[in-house]
Amino acid sequence: MAKMKEKTRVRLWLVLIIVVALFFGVYDYPPILNKGIEGFNKTFHTSISTVSSRPFTLGLDLQGGTHLVYEADTSDIDSGEEGSAVEGVRDVIERRVNSLGVAEPIVQTNQVGDKWRVIVELAGIKDVNEAINAIGETPLLEFKEESDTPARTLTAEEKNDLLIFNKNAEALANLVLDNAVAGGDFSELAAGNSDDLLTKDKGGRIGILTGNEPEYEAIYELITSQKITEPTVLKKLLDDGNGYNIVNVNEIKAGDEQVKASHLLICYNGATGCTDGPSKEEAEAKIRELKALATPDNFSDLVKEHSSEPGASVNAGDLGWFGRGVMVSDFEDAVFNMETGQISDVIETEFGFHLIFKEGVRQGQNYDVSRIFIDTKTEADILPPIDKWKNTELSGKHLDRAWVAFDQTSGAPQVSLQFNEEGDRLFGEVTERNIGKPVAIYLDGVAISIPVVNEKITGGEAVITGSFDLVEARLLSQRLNAGALPVPIELVSQQTVGATLGHESLTKSLFAALIGLLLVALFMIVYYRLPGIMAVIVLLIYTSILLFLFKLIPVTLTLAGIAGFILSIGMAVDANVLIFERLKEELKTGKPLGSAVDEGFKRAWPSIRDGNASTLITCFILAWFGTSMIKGFAITLGVGIMVSMFSAIVVTSYLLKQFMGMKDSKKNLFWFGINKK
Amino acid sequence: MNKMLNIISKKNIWLSISGVFIAVSLVFLIIWGLNLGIDFTGGSLLEVRFTESVPAPDQVKSSLAELGLEGEVTVQPTEQVGYIIRFQDITEETHQEIVSKLKDSFPATEDGGVNLEEERFEAIGPSIGQELRSRAIYAILIVLIAIVAYIAWAFRKISWPIKSWKYGVIAVVTLFHDIFITLGIFALLGAVLKVEVGLPFVAALLTILGYSVNDTIVVFDRIRENLSRLSKSDFEGLVNRSVNETITRSINTSLTTLLVLLAIFFFGGVTIKYFILALICGVALGTYSSIFVASPLLVVWERFSRK
Repeated sequence: MAKMKEKTRVRLWLVLIIVVALFFGVYDYPPILNKGIEGFNKTFHTSISTVSSRPFTLGLDLQGGTHLVYEADTSDIDSGEEGSAVEGVRDVIERRVNSLGVAEPIVQTNQVGDKWRVIVELAGIKDVNEAINAIGETPLLEFKEESDTPARTLTAEEKNDLLIFNKNAEALANLVLDNAVAGGDFSELAAGNSDDLLTKDKGGRIGILTGNEPEYEAIYELITSQKITEPTVLKKLLDDGNGYNIVNVNEIKAGDEQVKASHLLICYNGATGCTDGPSKEEAEAKIRELKALATPDNFSDLVKEHSSEPGASVNAGDLGWFGRGVMVSDFEDAVFNMETGQISDVIETEFGFHLIFKEGVRQGQNYDVSRIFIDTKTEADILPPIDKWKNTELSGKHLDRAWVAFDQTSGAPQVSLQFNEEGDRLFGEVTERNIGKPVAIYLDGVAISIPVVNEKITGGEAVITGSFDLVEARLLSQRLNAGALPVPIELVSQQTVGATLGHESLTKSLFAALIGLLLVALFMIVYYRLPGIMAVIVLLIYTSILLFLFKLIPVTLTLAGIAGFILSIGMAVDANVLIFERLKEELKTGKPLGSAVDEGFKRAWPSIRDGNASTLITCFILAWFGTSMIKGFAITLGVGIMVSMFSAIVVTSYLLKQFMGMKDSKKNLFWFGINKK
Repeated sequence: MNKMLNIISKKNIWLSISGVFIAVSLVFLIIWGLNLGIDFTGGSLLEVRFTESVPAPDQVKSSLAELGLEGEVTVQPTEQVGYIIRFQDITEETHQEIVSKLKDSFPATEDGGVNLEEERFEAIGPSIGQELRSRAIYAILIVLIAIVAYIAWAFRKISWPIKSWKYGVIAVVTLFHDIFITLGIFALLGAVLKVEVGLPFVAALLTILGYSVNDTIVVFDRIRENLSRLSKSDFEGLVNRSVNETITRSINTSLTTLLVLLAIFFFGGVTIKYFILALICGVALGTYSSIFVASPLLVVWERFSRK
């Protein structure tokens, strides 16, 4: 009974191992399963999702790329500070590399003896030279002040282009208008011509306009002015300042009453949106004074002169046409209840005191509107946005060094700067003319801090305060040090592999791996027969586990790494060979199969252990010694050896035990590689 | 395998053969030395491929001569339609100059377009080369020490008829045998075929160290086992028996390893060809030496210390 149990246990383990190995196999190479799933889906019209897994991590020599080693010249740096200076260099290089748009760049520092290095690995990069140039630039530290230069005007050429563009737009708009008026399909015209991306595919439909939509005010006014009575395409082109509109009214509905009015506002301190106003009493006195003066004729002038509403000096407080629900209720009640052509009494709202001049009243209409919009351009579209900042003469070359300090009263971390002599003078000048204004500190074209100058600073020392914590302050000082003391870096080693060569190497080495595996399998089966077949099964399980681990860890596969992997296939069967040779010896002495297997394992174990241990020691040392190529080789070989100890010993023993139960095993000795003579 | 091979009794023959091989390797190493690659000397290597017409090596050489580069420039055809060109350590600017010079000198025949693809470029500064060289030597020393220590530990329980540390020493002597002959072969290859040795070669040597000691350990293991259960009166016979018992395993194991190595040598990329060749030499020599050098030496030492 106990024997039965033992057999069941062995069988369970075997099944488990094989299932796990199959799972790993699918993870290693999902297409195996996915092709089947796709075929199944096609045949049975199901939609079982395919599996996906992480791809293998390929080294630079297999996917193409470049490996650059820079040496930092730290001879000018105080000892102890080299580390942070080189970290700063790394940060700068990292930002520059990121700007190149390389996927997953690796930038790391490395110290060998007293030499500080920065290693850059760029996979799949096309133009290595460009990358090298970008990295080699001296880090750029700039101090900028607020710019007062007006925006430039258009050049003659740009003016001409603008004119032509708008002419073309106008011509197109007229063409579309003619077409629409002549009964052309408005939806099609919109889809084909409109620059309004929101509506072009919806037949150009904007929705219902009630006259209270600021962005469509011009369209509403145009429709009103055309006095249409039934849905139609307006015959007039509308230029609303952004472009031309061809308007189609889909439906007309009666709306609410609308009024047209302008107003004069005197706000006071404490009223909504009021800055620097008089007291409430003063404001009230003033508005009463103005009320006494106001007539419909001088109203707009009074508004321009006295209204505290922003923009009133230009638009004369004109509110245009509006319906109910737009203004605050006190204001609305007053304007809808008063007579046209009159000036209201003093009205108080949350904004202050108002006088209202009601210019007109009309029955509002609601229109369901579609439009075709043809874009035009203005100068603002062509001119670059005005740069808020301009350079000062002060730059990174004037900075001696930067360090983290703490505010003496609050204890907050801050960054101190020490300028050289010229920097001291320049910094004094810059701060003098920017008191109360911000000065921006740029590193590689990005603003890293914008402190406000409190007073002219002399003495060559500055402090950047800001809401940063210690880590940020340290980072900033590192960056400043790198910008100020661009530790000169030199490219000391470069290894670049073209993508074509990389891909070729990959295909070739995979082919070699396959051939190697086949040759070993063939040899094992021919020489050892049944155990040979077991060894091959074990080898397949070994391969699937190993590849799974390569993906999982992940191990970066290089050409040498694949060689290490292939070599480990050859060595993985070594343990099997040792066991099988022992097994044969034991069988020859006439032992029954069961105890021969046990004995074979027991005797072979010390040799397997000692042999693999010595190779593992070498792998550890190689991995430590490691340039990337050798590391790749050592890691795959080392991982391979460890996995092979498991697969060869555990899996092989389960497999052999499974076959131990074969009846009359003596007759089957041939299958164990013994020729009876 | 009813008949035992008399390997040990002919030990003088085997040891002489190995001695001759080592002597010849030494001579090669002294005359030619190893052809050190740019990994160790510093320098640059450019591999290019011509997509259409391939110019002759001399054409490439004379085109590059116009640039007036310092130091020796060698041009070596690759298996592909291209060349590996070696220079002194050059800057990135010079590298770009060379590539565009080659592009201009050898345009595509049809439309005068680009006919050249840059496959690989390596530039190693002299300081890096120096550093890699010393690290390689350290690594080899550390591996050797680690292996002697491990073997001494693994065999610590046997002290008769020879002491456990002597197994370690013999294993290391065997290793030197394998390494020396491999070095000799590469000195020859360097002189005849201009094969360079770089970091990969060092990795191969270290792997040989780990692998070949593996074979030796298996033989010694069997000796250890037989010492514990057989009569110890005839040490020579016992060693011979142990070698015979393990010879099939040794040959089979190295055969499977050689099979995969040959697969990479013939079908894998050009880049690692000589790396693999070094491994092939090492594995073959390691198997040979575990049978024909390690065990005979053990017997010689035992006999010597008995006197």
